[in-house]
Amino acid sequence: MLEIFRNMWRRKFRTFLTIMGIVVGIFAFTVMGSLALKLNKMIEGGKLYVTGQITIMPKGSAVEGMGGGGNSMLPVDTLDKIAQVDGVDKVGPMVSLSLEEPDPDNPVGGSFSFGPTPTIEASDLNSEYKNRNWQTIAMKEGRMIGKGDDNKVTIGINIATDKNLKVGDTIKIRGRDFEVLGIVDKTMTGPDSYVFMSIVPAREMLVESNPFLKSLKEQSDKAASYSDAALSAMPADIRKQIIDAKAFKIEDVNTMAGVSWKDGYNSEDVANRIKDQFKDKVSVLSPVKMGEEIDKATTIFNAIILGVALIALIVGGFSIINTMIMSISERTKEIGIKKALGASGRSIAWEYTLEAGTIGLLGGLIGMGLGVLVAVLINNRMASRGAEIFLIEPNFLIEVVIFSFVLGTLAGIIPAIRAARMRAVDAIREL
Amino acid sequence: MKTIISAKNLKKSYRMSKTNIIKALKGVDFEVKEGDFTAIVGPSGCGKSTLLHILGLLDRPDSGSLIIDDIDASKMKERRAYKLRAKKIGFVFQGFNLIPTLTALENIMLAGKYGGQKLGERKRRAQELLEMMGLKDRMNHRPNELSGGQAQRVALARALMNNPSIILADEPTGELDSKTSLEIMEMLKDINRKENRTFVIVTHNDEVARTCKKIVRLKDGKNV
Repeated sequence: MLEIFRNMWRRKFRTFLTIMGIVVGIFAFTVMGSLALKLNKMIEGGKLYVTGQITIMPKGSAVEGMGGGGNSMLPVDTLDKIAQVDGVDKVGPMVSLSLEEPDPDNPVGGSFSFGPTPTIEASDLNSEYKNRNWQTIAMKEGRMIGKGDDNKVTIGINIATDKNLKVGDTIKIRGRDFEVLGIVDKTMTGPDSYVFMSIVPAREMLVESNPFLKSLKEQSDKAASYSDAALSAMPADIRKQIIDAKAFKIEDVNTMAGVSWKDGYNSEDVANRIKDQFKDKVSVLSPVKMGEEIDKATTIFNAIILGVALIALIVGGFSIINTMIMSISERTKEIGIKKALGASGRSIAWEYTLEAGTIGLLGGLIGMGLGVLVAVLINNRMASRGAEIFLIEPNFLIEVVIFSFVLGTLAGIIPAIRAARMRAVDAIREL
Repeated sequence: MKTIISAKNLKKSYRMSKTNIIKALKGVDFEVKEGDFTAIVGPSGCGKSTLLHILGLLDRPDSGSLIIDDIDASKMKERRAYKLRAKKIGFVFQGFNLIPTLTALENIMLAGKYGGQKLGERKRRAQELLEMMGLKDRMNHRPNELSGGQAQRVALARALMNNPSIILADEPTGELDSKTSLEIMEMLKDINRKENRTFVIVTHNDEVARTCKKIVRLKDGKNV
């Protein structure tokens, strides 16, 4: 083993450059891999959630799954009808909106950020609906909001860290004060950036921030003030408008809904039945289909990330092959001596393979160390903004180092076989 | 006394290019008895190094027979030859050929490794040999820190490491001054006498050859 290091030390600069080749590859592999792990974990949490319910969206909502800002809503009437479908257990109306009021000049948000943006997740606290996979969320402090907690919220850990909040503090959301009732323990997923709230204030906030809904509500309030007599005196088309406006109820402001199914029923069958009956009103996302969609996205994403890192590694591998071939031609004479001393081809091959493996291992350790360092530094900077983007997993790091050793060893095999096949007499003649 | 090396009608040619074929050996006979101290002499290019390489199983003859210690070695495959080299044959080269990254002790121990000795045994024997060569204080020196005579004694110790019955030396005094040459030759003969090991030495130096018990002369790839 000592001899390997001495041999590597003979050509310090060349060894250094070769190791650097591996360092770059393994560094990329560590960083990209940790990024992929983190994103997969977040996606995994989301997957658990979406596969625990049949998700109902209003037809034509802007971004499926985000329920953001679209004008389509799920009227309570439709939800009541969905509840009657065979196999449906409960329907839970929900409102999801961003924590900060959208900037009218920049509605999309100016910055690209990893991880979920702070979001209000509001549900009907009086409903008996529950997501099958998310019934219990571990709490760090306090408790989850329940019936009657209309002016209270439970917040995710990132929100708590970001705004420096404790249980009992007051949080101002879109101009209203809420008492923090509990803080959810770190989940590494969406809930870290959620504010859990009753649907009652959330609906009001959504209406206030949405120009279309706001005017609808104003019209409705105005319409309510007309007496029946006044109405009948109006022209038919205006009358119809006012009657329509009057029909608007705040309970109709639901950006999405979760549907649970009864025990013994197949979620896909139930989802298909809803789809068949409410085709033109809602989009139905079944648990299995959502799971598949997420898996597809994850697979492609992982392939791209790891592919980039692998290319870097293959380049590193070639540099090992190159270095080893050069080392071997420099040490031809030594190989001859060793053969004359009775070394078998196998033991010569082994020496060189191990040397290449050591280069790989060193490069792997350094590259992994640098990768972890960079990931930790970036994570620390991002943590205050509630968006750690790397997941540093010991198992993955161990695999990375083993992988770099194996890569080095594999790269060493071809040169090592060349060394082993060298005829002793030819090697000796180099004297 | 028992014949330990017996070679008959050895032929060997090297193809340098399509048209240039060098006939290094054109039918050489060679016999060595156990405990002999034989010199192979002749002008440069006469085939003496080729003969030594074939005797040491580093090269194979094109034709002819070679028996080493009752084993037919003329057509032996490399995967068997290395074992025979490790156990029965010790080499001493002209340029000492020590591994530059290893200390004197480690150079000697390396041969023991290929001969299948355990680490502890290797270290003990290598130390003994260095002591015998009078190099106890040079144990941890690298080859570039040794004089020519010291380096050749380390090389000799390395050749003796696996207790071989045959020692093949290619111009063992080739890079040494005449005083040191004589010292080394005395040392070889001493070992030959005391331990009854067989020595075959290639040299072009008649003075060195004259000190040997037996002389085999080659010229132009043939016995003279």
